[in-house]
Amino acid sequence: MSRSARSAPAKVRDLVTVKGIRNGLLFVLADDVDIADVLEELEHKIEGQIKSDGTLTAYVECGQRKVTDDDERMIRKLFATHGNLIVGGFAGAPTVSSLRHKDPYVFKGTVRSGMLIEHDGDVVIIGDVNPGGQIIAAGDVYIMGHLRGSIHAGASGNHQAVIAANYFEPLQVRIAHVVRRAPDVRTRPAEMEFAYLDGEQMAIEQMAYLAQYRAKMS
Amino acid sequence: MGEAIVVTSGKGGVGKTTSSANIGTALALLGKKVCMVDTDIGLRNLDVVMGLENRIIFDVIDVASGACRLEQALIKDKRFDQLFLLPAAQTKDKLALSEQSMQTIVAKLKEQFDFVIIDCPAGIEHGFRVAVTGADQAIVVTTPEQAAVRDADRVIGLLEAQKISSPKLIINRIRPQMMKNGDMLDIDDIISILSLDLLGIVPDDEHVIRAANQGEPTVMRPDSPASMGYRNIARRILGDPVPLMNLSVDEGGLFKKMRKWIGLH
Repeated sequence: MSRSARSAPAKVRDLVTVKGIRNGLLFVLADDVDIADVLEELEHKIEGQIKSDGTLTAYVECGQRKVTDDDERMIRKLFATHGNLIVGGFAGAPTVSSLRHKDPYVFKGTVRSGMLIEHDGDVVIIGDVNPGGQIIAAGDVYIMGHLRGSIHAGASGNHQAVIAANYFEPLQVRIAHVVRRAPDVRTRPAEMEFAYLDGEQMAIEQMAYLAQYRAKMS
Repeated sequence: MGEAIVVTSGKGGVGKTTSSANIGTALALLGKKVCMVDTDIGLRNLDVVMGLENRIIFDVIDVASGACRLEQALIKDKRFDQLFLLPAAQTKDKLALSEQSMQTIVAKLKEQFDFVIIDCPAGIEHGFRVAVTGADQAIVVTTPEQAAVRDADRVIGLLEAQKISSPKLIINRIRPQMMKNGDMLDIDDIISILSLDLLGIVPDDEHVIRAANQGEPTVMRPDSPASMGYRNIARRILGDPVPLMNLSVDEGGLFKKMRKWIGLH
């Protein structure tokens, strides 16, 4: 890929956005373009910011980008050599989607009453989840067994999380902040189903629909 | 070197003590040297069910604190020379027995007996941890009720955490007619939830209450359904592949017809 092609988005939107915040300046670096372009832009922005006499604290947010040690050193060097900015904080707040990139946690066995499984990503259970057992996951929850317990998927606010089980008979399911308890009377077999959010409503659908739902969401 | 088996359930009143007394007696009946240990400190019952209450001089706390030797506290059963009881203390607190001293006591008993049957208190607190600590195996007792199955599930989780390998399940107080009508949890449902090996089933039997009040374990009476259940359990503990008793309610009479034998393994 040529240099000019990579730089093209720069004309459409800023690679570095500077925001004044209560205790200094926040530099938001675009996370979907080459770091070299971002650094170039950052250098311009820093030079443009040198107006005040006193020192300012600069906070750097890198979004979803995985910042290497080299990158961080370069960014810190830019701030150090240009003007009166002191780097106060680095990297952005971890977001739900970044948590979802974590490896899934695979548990083999029965999740029994009183057991709690918490994980910052997807959770896969090879076995049953019994009443009184609980799973809290930032991502999806897949149960290769009989779900009879309580599940909270997308616990840190991910509305696109799903809960799927071979035999779907939970006491209670939560996705993000939406809670739904089991229907008092089941009207159809509970085999191979998953729960997802349709707007603010929880919906249960046959597993075959999961791929379609994913395609619709991405 | 004997084997220590803890009898536990989580929920109270499902028949831990009755099961301990009957399994212990049934094993003695089969010629094994058995010691039953009551760990329900403060609420001791096993001695009453066995009819040995009036013989208690020392108890397990006295042994733990060194007030007496282990042999002094052991009560010999009035029916079998090979059957002994180590009673719980009635006036002390559960905290008086530590996991450490329980381990020592159970280890000593295992040297002398073929089987050490430990009767666990209800609940999952200190008393439970003490009862479980020295055990090699565990028997989980439940009844066909949702609450009992939930508590059993919790206890199985705790036992697994204690590295007690694959506990065995006893389903107690089964009423075949209710189970057949679907008013009671089905045996298959319970096993599917708890995913344990079934050690045996015990039908609900008035004679158990009568026997407990007389201080005579049910297994002493050969004709009662519960007695047969417990005798089968004892034989399975010894590795005998006894088929599960038939609970069919048709054809006039509960256990007259042993038509349909269901294999255990």
